[in-house]
Amino acid sequence: MKRLKIDFKQCCGCRRCEVACSLNHFENSINPKKSRIRVMEEGGIFYPVVAGPFNNAECTSKNILLIEGKDVDECIICRASCPIKPWFKEPDTGVLLKCDFCGDPPDPACVKWCPCQAITLVDEEGRIVVKVEDVKKDYQRGKKG
Amino acid sequence: MDGWVGKLLRVNLTKGSVTSEDLPVGLTRLFLGGRGLASRILYNEVDAMVDPLSPENKIIFMTGPLTGTGVIGGASFVVVTKSPLSGSIACSPAEGYFGPELKYAGFDGIVIEGKAAGPVYLSIEDNEVALLSASHLWGKSTRRTEELIRSEKSNLWIARETSVASIGPAGERLAKVASIINDKHRVAARSGVGAVMGSKNLKAIAVRGTRTVMVADGTAFADAVARSWEKFKSTPVIPQTLNNVGTPFLVDVINESGVLPVRNFQTGVMKEVGKISGEHMGETILRANRGCFACPIACIQMTAVADPPFQGEGEGPEYRTIAVIGAACGIADIAAVAKISYLCDEMGIDTLSFGSAVACAMELTERRIISKKQTGMNLTFGNAGAVIELIEKVANREGFGDLLAEGGYHLASSYGHPEFFIGVKREGAPPFDPRGIQGLGLEYATSSSGVSHALGYLVTHKLLGIRGEIDPLTTEGKAPLVKQFQDGSTVFDAAGLCRLLLLGVWIDDLIPLLETATGNRYSEADLLTLGERVWNLERLFNLKAGFTGADDTLPRRMLEEPMPEGPARGQVCKLQEMLQEYYAIRGWNDRGIPTEAKLSSLGLAW
Repeated sequence: MKRLKIDFKQCCGCRRCEVACSLNHFENSINPKKSRIRVMEEGGIFYPVVAGPFNNAECTSKNILLIEGKDVDECIICRASCPIKPWFKEPDTGVLLKCDFCGDPPDPACVKWCPCQAITLVDEEGRIVVKVEDVKKDYQRGKKG
Repeated sequence: MDGWVGKLLRVNLTKGSVTSEDLPVGLTRLFLGGRGLASRILYNEVDAMVDPLSPENKIIFMTGPLTGTGVIGGASFVVVTKSPLSGSIACSPAEGYFGPELKYAGFDGIVIEGKAAGPVYLSIEDNEVALLSASHLWGKSTRRTEELIRSEKSNLWIARETSVASIGPAGERLAKVASIINDKHRVAARSGVGAVMGSKNLKAIAVRGTRTVMVADGTAFADAVARSWEKFKSTPVIPQTLNNVGTPFLVDVINESGVLPVRNFQTGVMKEVGKISGEHMGETILRANRGCFACPIACIQMTAVADPPFQGEGEGPEYRTIAVIGAACGIADIAAVAKISYLCDEMGIDTLSFGSAVACAMELTERRIISKKQTGMNLTFGNAGAVIELIEKVANREGFGDLLAEGGYHLASSYGHPEFFIGVKREGAPPFDPRGIQGLGLEYATSSSGVSHALGYLVTHKLLGIRGEIDPLTTEGKAPLVKQFQDGSTVFDAAGLCRLLLLGVWIDDLIPLLETATGNRYSEADLLTLGERVWNLERLFNLKAGFTGADDTLPRRMLEEPMPEGPARGQVCKLQEMLQEYYAIRGWNDRGIPTEAKLSSLGLAW
């Protein structure tokens, strides 16, 4: 099974992946709010978040996490396409959006459009199998991590 | 419509009304969008003689057909109004996320008119547009304003995706060096546009949209975008430099060409340039790069200064700020320049207009025209502490800061020495010395929007070895080149594209993007004519506002004082050799007024 590997240290926050996703799933349409991947930012660091699978059973074993001295409901940091959350839903219809790897075999548009190799398609062992953009990566990421 | 979203938002602050109207489709064929469309609206709706800070002036935020589509550099919008600094038409572009969000909310642009009774901000969430009280935001920095507006949103995701454009204390107090800041550090900087917002009691615009921007042919569009990225990567500038240290790479290049504005343009080369160069910045304060919306060039530098006295963090400084604060004010310390840049962004001050006024005050001090008693500080070249103090004073309009807030021209004139203000049409010049790039002098002198930095990209030709070799020290052939470049760069502003793309590409590269996005056909000649149309319309606005051909000039230093050292040594800008040729090529008479024949060929009339 192929998976998307996100390396947030590589992300430059440009949100091209959101454009790519919506254009690939909705004909001639560019709408980042209908994207199955969204880029969040905190303190100058960008986090691409992919809409994951939702399973009712997982919510029954939900934990409260302690982060920086605060209790955090796991629900808040969960990326599932969940019916009770406002995100990863089509804003006009409320239809849930989940990453489908752009078909079978997987050929994710976000991987192709990402200019900084923050998103790669990997097989189960985590080995990189697709590396479309062969851009010389020189964003001085080392300093950030 | 494809490319455009088809609606304009009209906000009347006097009445407190917001209305949505159809985008005039016929006009998009003639003016495209962005700068073109906004200039056309301003020209038709605002009397050019109006007081820029009166309720009768309007301020227009406009995107282009490529804004928010995912095209590289397609993150731009422009702010068009009558400038309180220069008195001419103002066109101030900015990037970030504001323009794209506005389109996702379903609007190509916003036309703001009148004046609110008290402080308000405009909130746009798709169809829900409201004018809300901004009493709690008044007096706050731009950064704090954004945080407060976001904190009012119902959830974290909505808060993060809300883009805010706001003014700081400087704009509230009508400082003519005030800018509009969006997404914390993206700036519609020039021509005092922040003061116009302040004069209308409009503190901020917050926008988030969930709608769709349609393109004509999604598959062909995706191909065109991918191909344009391949093209951009093959240019000499974009991949190696812009997405490494960003625009500061220019500091060294410009210094080597001898056109850095050192100590208020007294010379063109700086000995201590290594302390403010892009390379030095990369080794010291740079943390990482980031991109504006959908732009893989990622030329924004996220920076941090850890040690006192200049500690802080933010984005930038960019080339222009480094050149004007570091070179023109003689502050050879990248940490100090960064700190000044952060503070200016927070206070909503344009580093370029502010910096050129400070550099002018420093020269007046050096020449003993003004004294420490008058300024209240030791305003010598290189005194970073004094400049930091002045930012606060300009924002609060205290003491000497009150005078400085009116801009460098006003400052120098009030002491009887306007010749030490280096600018055109009362606006501080971009940080490239035209004595070493003759064509640039013509570009400055004839610029329609004050002399905003937006118009200084002629440097790309020779200095960066793009589009062939041109001898920068001769005047021959410069007039047609300037015209072509002015018209072409206007197309970028009208399409909604970042001007930095001009460092690598030209309008023929835009055609596939425009065609697949909008479904219309364009040729290079069409687009150049479109740019020329906008340029002439802006000229007409300025003529109506009282400008004449006599204003198409440069400061005395550029015209009469030979450059003392460096590659341009001995040069002055030979403007007169180029100006009449330029007028003739433009189809203007010898006083710089467009002829009837020219106007009718462009579909314009007085």
